[in-house]
Amino acid sequence: MVRSSFRFLPDIALADIAFLAKGETLETLFEASARALTEVMVDRRSVSAGTLKILEIKSDTVDGLLYDLLSELIVLKDVDSLLFKTFAVSISKDKTRLTCRAKGGTIDRERNRLRNDVKAVTMHLFGVKKTKGGFEATVVLDI
Amino acid sequence: MSETQVAKQVSDVVWEIPTSYKDGMKVPARMYATRKLLDAMDKGVIEQVTNVACLPGIVNYSFAMADAHWGYGFPIGGVAAFDVENGIISPGGVGFDVNCGMRLIRTNLRYSEVKPRIKEIVDLLFRLVPAGVGVKGPLKITQPQLDEIMQWGVKWCAENDLGWGEDASHVEEGGFIKGGNPAKVDPQAKSRGISQLGTLGSGNHYLEVQVVDPARFLDRNLASKFGLVHDDQVVVMVHCGSRGFGHQICTDYLRVLDGAMRKYKIQVRDRELAYTPFSSNEGQDYYSAMVCAANFAFANRQIILHRVREALSQVFHKEAEKMDVNVIYDVCHNIAKVERHRVDGSSRDLIVHRKGATRSFGPGHSDVPAPYRAVGQPVIIGGSMETGSYLLLGTEKAMQETFGSTAHGSGRTMSRTAAKRQVRGAELQKSMEKRGIYVRAATMDGLAEEAGVAYKDISEVVETMHIAGISLKVAALRPIGNVKG
Repeated sequence: MVRSSFRFLPDIALADIAFLAKGETLETLFEASARALTEVMVDRRSVSAGTLKILEIKSDTVDGLLYDLLSELIVLKDVDSLLFKTFAVSISKDKTRLTCRAKGGTIDRERNRLRNDVKAVTMHLFGVKKTKGGFEATVVLDI
Repeated sequence: MSETQVAKQVSDVVWEIPTSYKDGMKVPARMYATRKLLDAMDKGVIEQVTNVACLPGIVNYSFAMADAHWGYGFPIGGVAAFDVENGIISPGGVGFDVNCGMRLIRTNLRYSEVKPRIKEIVDLLFRLVPAGVGVKGPLKITQPQLDEIMQWGVKWCAENDLGWGEDASHVEEGGFIKGGNPAKVDPQAKSRGISQLGTLGSGNHYLEVQVVDPARFLDRNLASKFGLVHDDQVVVMVHCGSRGFGHQICTDYLRVLDGAMRKYKIQVRDRELAYTPFSSNEGQDYYSAMVCAANFAFANRQIILHRVREALSQVFHKEAEKMDVNVIYDVCHNIAKVERHRVDGSSRDLIVHRKGATRSFGPGHSDVPAPYRAVGQPVIIGGSMETGSYLLLGTEKAMQETFGSTAHGSGRTMSRTAAKRQVRGAELQKSMEKRGIYVRAATMDGLAEEAGVAYKDISEVVETMHIAGISLKVAALRPIGNVKG
């Protein structure tokens, strides 16, 4: 089992919400980041996983792939009223293309325990770093 | 040594950080604060206000207002002006929520009339103005209509039965900024925004019923100029912005400019400060798209006003006209605008960035609506939902010192995560109701994050700006009902 995790950073950008995500691989880092973003918007345990959405993203940088993936999840929340429970990410060998299989459901105001309406992913402190144990990313979300 | 100790005192409430503080600073940074507020400012403010001082073409100073706190790129509460010929424009100096702002609506209702009906009013507003994660508004518009809103803002609303003819004249820029070009807005932003008009959003956005509070402050003479003639007069305050439409425009252009910065090997201390020369094609494109978002935000607050009129009419069985439900003023506090200011004795066109800061134009300025021109522009300072808000007045001193700018709110002292650890939403809701503030919130977590304890003392922020002379106190406003996003 390849491990990944995230934790919120309470002392950064007071009006907004920051998190640090970690993964042994880039793929698990991206999955952890997508889970962290979603947890800001909703308690994922209350989200159904009946709808599969496949996201295809291209970028010339790894940072760009992560930024665009998270931004796309925010767009899907607003445009298609979709929130996701699980994420499975694969990244091409040259690290310029990403596929994310996200399972979730349409926002249900009775069932979903909703939290914050995330506006956007900021570039403040944003970036993917290689670490001893794999990769980590700092993300500040505009609330 | 704490970060704030690098600041040298210029006057009672003005502090300056010299250009020697950091390599690359082109101008000093100036902060408006009492000693207490300065000491309480987080380290991010100093870092960010001095980062902004390094940007090309910045004029005079990089400013942090008394409500400044750690944001992204610019500090929240940051003001900076750049030459239109040689300076830059930065999406990070505007923020994702383009033209997030405040609208203050007066009524001729008295507290004694509203108090027994406050639950009914707030419950109805909660239903009419959707708030929270991913909400959509009831207003159905077409793509061509959205294009018109991007260009005409409040004017479009008035022409489409969503307002009265005189509303626009009481909105900054007359309810729309010229130069919005829908062709510069990506279709994804349009998809995000088309169903969100008339919605509140979440975070610190709110729709609040308030009462004039003479116990805290009231200049009856000045207040009467804005139609506040009773000590217990009821007003309604709206705080929101351009919703997903503006957020996406900022996201899109930030990606473009971030790429361009890498391509041209231009280094900034914070990627959120990605910029482009204002006169470049990219700068003009971003400006045109940002103006579209600003006009969308004006329209959004206008539609919420329309719902407020509907709600009050329904509750009191009277026409809104008879209750004098009129706009006192509507101000942007996340914006970049071309304005003419005097610099070193001559008039210059500048692109003024206000991120969590409010325009504060003084008496006689042609951009101040005619009914207020003799006294100055109304400035609306939104406080936390527990502690209240203020109506202030723009001044000539602000024109001379801060490019006609002042603070925008209380300013946070505690992160959202920390606030949630300290406060439980349901308990806060009950406690506020006991204190005479009836709250409906989209989520209890969101309510806890916006607790008064997470914010600076708004009265000290307002007092600081008053002592500095860049905005003057007119009236304190006490919350009695709140719809929380």
